[in-house]
Amino acid sequence: MTEPAVIVDHVSKKFRLYHERNQSLKSALMRRRTTVHEDFWAVRDVSFEVPAGKTFGLLGRNGSGKSTLLKMLARIYTPDEGSITARGRVASLLEVGSGFHPELSGRENIFLNGAILGLSRKEVKARYDEIVEFSGVEQFIDQPIKNYSSGMYVRLGFSVAINVRPDILVVDEVLAVGDGAFRAKSEQKFRELTESGCTVIVVSHSLTQMRDLCHTVAWMEHGRVREIGDAQTVTDAYEKSLKTEG
Amino acid sequence: MTYFRQLVMSRELLFNLVSREVKGQYRRTVLGQLWSLINPLATMLVYSVVFGLIFRAGPPPGDPSGLDIYALWLMSGLLVWTFFARVVNQGLDSLVANANLIQKVYFPRMHLVLATMLSTAMTWCFELGVLIVALHLFGGFPLPWLPLLLVYMVLLALFATGVSMLLAIFNVHFRDTKHFVTILLQLWMYLTPILYPIQLVENAVGNKPWLLTIYRLNPMEHFVQAFRDLLYNNRLPTLGDSLWCLGAALVAFLIGYAVFSRSEKRLAELL
Repeated sequence: MTEPAVIVDHVSKKFRLYHERNQSLKSALMRRRTTVHEDFWAVRDVSFEVPAGKTFGLLGRNGSGKSTLLKMLARIYTPDEGSITARGRVASLLEVGSGFHPELSGRENIFLNGAILGLSRKEVKARYDEIVEFSGVEQFIDQPIKNYSSGMYVRLGFSVAINVRPDILVVDEVLAVGDGAFRAKSEQKFRELTESGCTVIVVSHSLTQMRDLCHTVAWMEHGRVREIGDAQTVTDAYEKSLKTEG
Repeated sequence: MTYFRQLVMSRELLFNLVSREVKGQYRRTVLGQLWSLINPLATMLVYSVVFGLIFRAGPPPGDPSGLDIYALWLMSGLLVWTFFARVVNQGLDSLVANANLIQKVYFPRMHLVLATMLSTAMTWCFELGVLIVALHLFGGFPLPWLPLLLVYMVLLALFATGVSMLLAIFNVHFRDTKHFVTILLQLWMYLTPILYPIQLVENAVGNKPWLLTIYRLNPMEHFVQAFRDLLYNNRLPTLGDSLWCLGAALVAFLIGYAVFSRSEKRLAELL
């Protein structure tokens, strides 16, 4: 029996929908005291546990609250109700190349991006060669990255992110970067990561990937968990509903 | 874990953000870092001609330094102002400008404002250094006052950062803040004795001394006086000015820090 690495306990998140969202002082004054808004619960009363070292998938249609939940797991949003407990270092991979500065070289951006993702300078130095080699942009590493092709850009970003090696990794659809060869390489790397004991929470629309990578899958609908369980069963049920409900 | 501990633990990120700002700023310019020197020199030239020669602002000679050069007198005060204005202007925009980063990764957001302040401080130290050399060349002797100058630099940085943090949060809620502050800073500068000596204000108020009291409620007036005492006059700043600087720095920083750390959790959804 393994300790849960992440405990999500009755978590809810609401957003305010303003009927006239105009971020200016004038509109704030004109509105007087009664603000016109509705509460929209993007995530409603969600609870689950992710055991350490397992891969957990979130399924659901657009707008079902997956990404909001993911952002709460990544500490970008704070829940309005309930709590999220994580044991260990959490890194989030919601976008590749966060904070890249176009005028700086690939080398400088590796250190910058690494720091943003929570690595110390020493850690980046230790992994530097691996990062560069994995990205396959050695030749251009001292060029400003604004001269990179978009493929090189995401490959470099992905290489830094995958080398963060956190205890808990939160991923949003980023496995689909680069060309076919790079994608195979990154899937391989990702598998190594999960096998080495990293807990992963992933959102993906690729059902094959879900069956392949995840141990447990939660199916979300309208902000709530509709079904949770073994990856194969839940993914099949979701696939069936996609066909019947159109 | 308290917010302050989080900030300390992620200090490496702060250094990286600072170096991003510093390195990114003058990339692809031929003169590079020299631009940070050319800008104040150009301003000095304009103000010296307009206010030194045409308007004859005529500040009293430095006591006890004996310096009597308008351009140097001007720069001893103007540099204080440009640091403040730059930190406030860029700091208040730092959250909106980095909205993408805030929505994708978690890190203590205060680093964004702190990084703007520190990168501004780095170029500023360079400018101050040049001024100090110039002051020596023309007969002043600010060298012994440098340790004390450092204390006032820290106070000024705290004051500017506090104001900047507060306005950065305002700017997320109301994007008008940025435009409003641009105007406010312009007015504020002319209400601070930077281009003209405070003696002119004393003469102008005549028999209404309360006007001068109101005029001197401006914390920047005390910062400018204190820096001028150290750099241009080469003497100890008055106790009144020092207490004002200390008080303004603490109040502004604590309010800014409290407001910022309370609002930071909701920044990602507000942006």
